[in-house]
Amino acid sequence: MSEKNCVIVVGAGPAGSSTAMGALRAGAAVTIIDRKTNVGIPVQCGEAIGKTGPGLAEISVPEESIRATVRGFRVYSPGQIAVDYAEKEPSGYIVDRRVFDKELFARATEAGADSLLGARFLDITRSKGVVNGVIVRHDGQRKTLEAKVVIGADGVNSQIARFTGLRKSYKPADIDSCFAYEMANCELEVTDLMEFLLGNEVSPRGYIWIFPKGNGRANVGIGIGGTIETKTAKEYLDHFLKHHDVAKRQLSQAKVIEKRVGALPVCGPNKTNVVDGALLVGDAAGHVHPITGGGMGYAMVCGNIAGRVTAECIMKGQVSAKHLQQYEDEWRKIYGSEFEQSLKLRELILKTDDATLDKLAGIVTGESIVRMTAGKKVKIFMKAMATGDKHLIALMNELRKLRMV
Amino acid sequence: MPPTTSTKKSTKKLADIDGELCGICQACATVCPVNAIEVTESYLIVIPEKCTGCGVCVKVCPVGAITLIER
Ligand SMILES: Cc1cc2nc3c(=O)[nH]c(=O)nc-3n(C[C@H](O)[C@H](O)[C@H](O)COP(=O)(O)OP(=O)(O)OC[C@H]3O[C@@H](n4cnc5c(N)ncnc54)[C@H](O)[C@@H]3O)c2cc1C
Ligand code: SF4
Ligand code: SF4
Repeated sequence: MSEKNCVIVVGAGPAGSSTAMGALRAGAAVTIIDRKTNVGIPVQCGEAIGKTGPGLAEISVPEESIRATVRGFRVYSPGQIAVDYAEKEPSGYIVDRRVFDKELFARATEAGADSLLGARFLDITRSKGVVNGVIVRHDGQRKTLEAKVVIGADGVNSQIARFTGLRKSYKPADIDSCFAYEMANCELEVTDLMEFLLGNEVSPRGYIWIFPKGNGRANVGIGIGGTIETKTAKEYLDHFLKHHDVAKRQLSQAKVIEKRVGALPVCGPNKTNVVDGALLVGDAAGHVHPITGGGMGYAMVCGNIAGRVTAECIMKGQVSAKHLQQYEDEWRKIYGSEFEQSLKLRELILKTDDATLDKLAGIVTGESIVRMTAGKKVKIFMKAMATGDKHLIALMNELRKLRMV
Repeated sequence: MPPTTSTKKSTKKLADIDGELCGICQACATVCPVNAIEVTESYLIVIPEKCTGCGVCVKVCPVGAITLIER
């Protein structure tokens, strides 16, 4: 069986639905396919949006998915020094990903996209080296779908990335292994800040998060480095819930209402995301902040760009990598340096011991954490020097090399 | 064809996934050097002909659902 389409988007997550929207607005015909029959399920996410990458004004978050508004965050250093950051106005949302993903997908179909659910991508087809379709398994059968351009929005384990040669397997150090609970009956000390806990004991090479979801509910999770073999992510989170002061104060009466797992790419975007006749977007492209792990906002903005550029290339009849490169250039212009800087900063933080992170927490403000995670320069050098601590000063010298202090 | 780099079996071992523990996060599949783990909506399939028994997938699983078994 063979069908002719303009754009085939593989993956109905935020990246796929946003790409479809971008392409539809620019006049292309789109089919979204997903192996799932229930888009948005299972939830594998912290569900926070607006604080990493694009701000709330740059993305349209479906109203019905919003569970709580947040104004900022509270970061606990390994020694439990808390640094707060709060804006006057709400600057982020905690959403219900189930509703969020489903709404974005539904809206793309309402805007004209065709959908094919329960269709698992198996392979790409090529003509003269140019990608011109996909082979899927649907209704128990192999089917070939033709396309002018194939969009790989198929998430962290993107098979399109592998089959096009745009990415090989990740190394364990490239990903975080994640586990989370949705909890009810929480007694949160702050209901409009996202809480983060760092430290080798609580979450080696990653962090624990507690995100308020309103009505005493919270998304409580952990990401640990893929190289960590001492305990599983679940074991680390369970240990935290039982023994850590911050958990005891807020979650001792909490009940688990959902269990979640996840895999997060934390090594920055792929070198390139375009080949002749295909491109990658979202997690497939590595559009995830290497420190915060946020990816939804990037997926939406980059998706929109990808969709528009794809449609424009199809109109011109030029779908080679050279022409699709316009997408790569556009998203890199906005986020390229943010990803590069934060990747370097991540490597630096991973090398820094807990005691020095505590000292750093003693001299930074919430504002400087925001600037640093966005890859921007902060004024903490003099304060660090004043402590006379040689490890902290060494860290400053490293930050100086990155032009961050 | 998928770009598998090697189908040679380095050991007599094979990755075995406990389907009741697995939450389909795909961490294992992303690090598998030979793309031996296929992911469907509701379960994972380890392709025995591809799996080399290297064990990389075991360490990244957030819930410890993977073990290496004798072939
Ligand atoms: C534990 C965890 C916590 C996170 N917390 C946050 C957070 O708080 N805020 C934030 O912004 N980001 C967070 N992220 C990152 C965020 O979840 C991702 O960046 C985002 O989901 C990426 O969207 P996507 O559309 O690229 O991929 P996905 O949402 O993964 O969608 C991919 C889609 O492709 C489909 N698919 C995959 N393979 C195939 C195939 N072979 N055939 C057909 N369909 C296929 C899947 O079924 C899926 O529907 C978190 C991630 C994890 C793991
Ligand atoms: S043991 Fe190695 S080859 Fe086999 S599935 Fe795991 S990572 Fe892949
Ligand atoms: S890493 Fe573990 S939980 Fe995740 S998909 Fe693989 S077996 Fe399942």
